[in-house]
Amino acid sequence: MAARPSRPRLLLRHATLVAVSFVMLLPFYWVMKTAVTNENIYAYPPGIVPRDPHLFNFVDVWYLIPFPRYLLNSIVVSAIAVAGNVVLNAMAGYALTRQFPGRRAVLALFLSCMLIPFQATIIPAYLITAKMGLLNTYFGLAFPMLSTIICIFVFKAAFEAVPRSLIDAARLDGLSEWRIILRVLLPLSKPAIATNVILSFIWSWNNFLWPLLITRDPTMQTLPLGLARFLSYMEDTTGALYAFAVLVLAPSVLVFLMAQKEFIRGLTSGATKG
Amino acid sequence: MTREAGIATWLTSRWFIVPAVFSAVTLGWLAYVSAHDNGLIDGRVVDAKGDPVAGATVQLFERGFVTHEQRGRAVTDAEGRFRFTDNRSHSIQLEAEAPGLGRTDRRILRLWFAAQDAVLPEPLRFPTAP
Repeated sequence: MAARPSRPRLLLRHATLVAVSFVMLLPFYWVMKTAVTNENIYAYPPGIVPRDPHLFNFVDVWYLIPFPRYLLNSIVVSAIAVAGNVVLNAMAGYALTRQFPGRRAVLALFLSCMLIPFQATIIPAYLITAKMGLLNTYFGLAFPMLSTIICIFVFKAAFEAVPRSLIDAARLDGLSEWRIILRVLLPLSKPAIATNVILSFIWSWNNFLWPLLITRDPTMQTLPLGLARFLSYMEDTTGALYAFAVLVLAPSVLVFLMAQKEFIRGLTSGATKG
Repeated sequence: MTREAGIATWLTSRWFIVPAVFSAVTLGWLAYVSAHDNGLIDGRVVDAKGDPVAGATVQLFERGFVTHEQRGRAVTDAEGRFRFTDNRSHSIQLEAEAPGLGRTDRRILRLWFAAQDAVLPEPLRFPTAP
């Protein structure tokens, strides 16, 4: 059993963590501060405490551009991406826990595909989406995000942590492979589900390049595109621009805060295996 | 775990409570907005001494992206009161003009939602008196 660290060492460790947290949170504080004031972020000396804070910049964002429409589009696209990731990645993750000819080759292919940036495959992705008639649709916006390799491996690791005897017992009881996933593996893999939900939500929510390529209609644009459009109108560093950034950021932060416990557990599941 | 216990666990989890509270607050806010979005703007116009100015023309300017555009006019009554009944904006400016008194400064009025009913907290004041 490891010895408990001494008090000075513990204090030093916590002081370091507080300092690192401060450095990491400072930009968020600055964005929040500018959002509730109209202070110029380049003003010198910078003010730490916001002067005359108000929330009217958020009202401006809501009405000056079709923010509710962008919000709805982002929510729908992210919901499709999250649903697709949970369902498809669970199926793929389970398949990779089974033994079949070429399994190692498939694993190697998946791992090597992770090295290819999306920008390199974006033209084929666009052509396939266009051939399927999905341009300018919600499903088309979510299409490349429906399954991600990292999340497949998260499910694979979680499923491999479930005792083999439990799956064998379920099979002996007559459960089909589908029901084994649904009734046995998924209820025991909540951290993996939370990890999939968070990662796919954040990736889909923040996605800029793909929606920029496949949306033709301004009413189909998502929040990151709206932010770029807003930036083109409001070229100065006004509070409204930062209020927009806060509104774009808030749902991702909320989803992460709600699922952070499972998320951390999901990322580390299987880490001590073997 | 029984079915009832499962439901109770779900109802007390943050995955239910946070969206439920958020939905309740949103619905409450929408109900408040729908009850107070008649576009009524009330106010008064006074001179430098604080006396009401009758017959002054008040202009309402609506905020666009970079400019404010004039959207309405109203004339004050004997008590210096005016009312706009069709404001659709969330951010407006008001300015009064009267013969012999000139113009008032433009007063910015920021609202919490578009077409919110509002009363100008301070009257529009001319810099001079007749």
